[in-house]
Amino acid sequence: MKRIGPLYSLLAGLVIAIGFATTALAQAAAPAASTAAPPSSVATAELKEGAAKAPTADTLKAGDPSGTVTGTIIDVPVSDPKAGLTLPDMANQIGQNKIGINFTWTLLCGFLVMFMQAGFAMVEAGLCRVKNSNHTYMMNFFVYGCGLLAYWLIGFAIQMGGAGGNANLGGLSPLATEHAFTLFGKTWGMFGGSGMFLAGHTYDVGVMVIFLFQMVFMDTALTIVTGACAERWKFLTFAVSSVLMGAFTYPLFANWAWGAGWLAQLGSNLGLGKGYADFAGSGVVHAVGGLSALAVALIVGPRIGKFNRDGSSNAILGHDISAVLIGCFILAFGWFGFNPGSTLGASANGNLRIGSVAVNTMLAGCTGTFGAILYMWILKGKPDASMSGNGLLAGLVAITAPSGFVSPTSSAIIGLIAGVLVCMSVAFVENVLKVDDPVGAISVHGANGLWGVLAVGLFADGTSNYGGSWNGVAGSVTGLFYGDASQLAAQLVGISTLLGFVFTFSFALNLALEFFMGHRVSAESEVAGLDLPEMGQLGYPEFLFAKEPDIFVTHSREFAVA
Amino acid sequence: MAATSGQGRSFATFLVGITVACVGIAFLSTGLGKFALAVGVVIFVASLFAFMKIKPMEGKPAQKPGAGGMKLLGAVAACLGWILVLFGLHVVTGTGGRIVLSLVGIGVSLFGIIYILPTAFNKNAIWKA
Repeated sequence: MKRIGPLYSLLAGLVIAIGFATTALAQAAAPAASTAAPPSSVATAELKEGAAKAPTADTLKAGDPSGTVTGTIIDVPVSDPKAGLTLPDMANQIGQNKIGINFTWTLLCGFLVMFMQAGFAMVEAGLCRVKNSNHTYMMNFFVYGCGLLAYWLIGFAIQMGGAGGNANLGGLSPLATEHAFTLFGKTWGMFGGSGMFLAGHTYDVGVMVIFLFQMVFMDTALTIVTGACAERWKFLTFAVSSVLMGAFTYPLFANWAWGAGWLAQLGSNLGLGKGYADFAGSGVVHAVGGLSALAVALIVGPRIGKFNRDGSSNAILGHDISAVLIGCFILAFGWFGFNPGSTLGASANGNLRIGSVAVNTMLAGCTGTFGAILYMWILKGKPDASMSGNGLLAGLVAITAPSGFVSPTSSAIIGLIAGVLVCMSVAFVENVLKVDDPVGAISVHGANGLWGVLAVGLFADGTSNYGGSWNGVAGSVTGLFYGDASQLAAQLVGISTLLGFVFTFSFALNLALEFFMGHRVSAESEVAGLDLPEMGQLGYPEFLFAKEPDIFVTHSREFAVA
Repeated sequence: MAATSGQGRSFATFLVGITVACVGIAFLSTGLGKFALAVGVVIFVASLFAFMKIKPMEGKPAQKPGAGGMKLLGAVAACLGWILVLFGLHVVTGTGGRIVLSLVGIGVSLFGIIYILPTAFNKNAIWKA
C-alpha cells in the first residue's frame, strides 16, 4: 500500500493556499502594475542590491571577531551565476536550511540515545555480582552489534518500509512499501517492505537519518532484556535471541505504531482518537523490551539461591552502586535525545515544542525519583539507592509516550505515579510471580512502559500541533481528562497488543530457542560466575571474592555435572 | 563447560544463514533472490541443528522441565485476550463499549501472563527442591 502521509497532505494544502494567496496578491496589485515593477522584479533588484552591499573579500580577510559579517547573502548558492541570486535560489536555501536543521537535530539526538547503551551497561553490571560483571557488560556491548546487524538486514524494512511522508526529513519518499490487508472493509498496514540493506532507492540522505535514529531506539529495547536475564543467560543464546528480536519482534510492533501500521490507523479507520499515540516509545521501545524481558526471564528461571524453599526471596546485592547511579544519570542525559528527538526535527510542523518535551522529560524523571525514594523511605526505612535509580528511570520511561502531548504538571504526576509503581511492581514480580529480575527491568520498562501508554489516553491536553494532525487525523492528541475518551480506547488497544502479541510472540520465539539451544548456563558456571566460563576473563581480576552464603551453592551441588 | 569454539562456529553459521536469507527476501522477485532465500533457509536450519548438537555438551543448567501444557495454555490465554479485542472492535461501535472490551481483553491476557505462566514455570522450580 502506498500511503500518502498527513504531512504530504499538509504540504499540498500549503501549496494550494500559497497559490491562492499569490493569485489574490497579483489581482490586488493589478491596478498599480502599469506604474510599478512586478514584485518579483523588485525582489530581484533588492537581492542584487543586497549582494552588492555584502562584505567583500578584503573585509572578510580582516577577520570577523563580532560575527556580523560571516553568514550573509554571499553564502547562498546561486544556480545560475549569470543571473545572480534569485528568489528560487533563496527559497531552495530556506528549504535546505529547514531540512538541515531537522537532520542535524535528529542525528544529534540519535547520538545521545546511542550513548544510553553505556548507561544501561553500567546500571545492569552494577546491579550484578562482581563475578558476572564482564559477562553483563559484554551482553550490553554486543547487543548493539547484534541489533544493528539485524535491523540493517531486515528490521528497518519491516518497521519503516512504508513510513514515507515525513516532511521534517524531506519526505522520505523511498520508504513507500507498506504491506496491508483488508478487514471489515478497512485497509490495515501490517509491515513495511522498503529499505533492506539500505540499498537501491533507499540509499537516500533522509532514509539514512531515520535509520540511525530508529536503530538506536530498537537497540534500547533489546538491551532491556539483558538486565532481566543477567547472571544466568548463556551468551550464545542471548546473541541469537537479540538478533531475532531486532529483526522481527521490535520492528513489527514499531511498524504498527510508527510505520503506517494498523495501530496508527485506529483513528482514521475506526475513529479512535488520533490512533494509537506513542510519542517516543513507552510502548514501542520500553514495554516491548520489558515484556520480552518477562518472557525470557520466565523461561530462563531464577538464579540459584534467589528463592528459598518456602518461596521467600533472598536479596542478591549488586557489586557497584556507584556504577548504577552514574549509569542512571547517563540514561537521563540520553533521554534528552530520546524524547525531544522524537519530533524528528526542530524546524516547522510544530517542532518548537521540543522545549516542552525536554522539560516534561526532566520533570517526570525528578518526580519518579521522589516517588521511589519516598516509598522506600516511608515503608522500608531507608531511601534505597538502587530503587531511587529505578524510580528515575521509571519516571523517564512513563513520560516517553506522553512527553509530546502533555503539560508539565501532568508530567510531574505521571512521573510520581511511575516512581511508586516501580517499587510495587518489583515486589510483585519477585514475591508473587517468583520471577527473578536482577535489575528490575520488567518493572521499570514493562510496567511503566504500559503506564506511559495509558497516560497518553488520560493526560494528553490537546495543545500539541505537529503539522495539524497525528496519524493522519486532523487535530491534536487529546486524552480522557481533556474530553476525548476515544483516545483512551486507542491506547488500551495498544496495551492489549503489547500484552497479547508482543509478549506471546517473544515467548514463543524464545521457547523455540530453549528447545534448540537452551537459555541457561550450566549450574556449575552459574555458581562460579559467568566471567570465566562464558567470557574467559574476569571483569575485575584483582578482586578477592567473598564466600557466598550456603544457599547459593546448595542447589548447584545437586545440579552440577562436573 | 561453557562458551566454546563450537558455539562460535554455529553462531557464525546462523548469521550467514539469516543474512543470505535476507538477501533472498530483498531480491525475491528475481530467480537469484529465490535461490538465495532457499540457500539461506537451509544454512539457518543447519545452524539450529548445530545448536542442538552442542547443547548437551554445555553442562546441565539449574532447571527442571515444567508443565508444558500449562505453558501453552498461558501463552494461548495471553494471545486470546488480544484477539478478543481485535475482533471486538469491529463488533462494538461505541467508545465506552470499546474501552470495556479492551479492558476485558487486557484482563484475559494478564491472566495468562501473570497467573498461568508463572504457575507453570514454578511448578517444578529448582528452589522448591
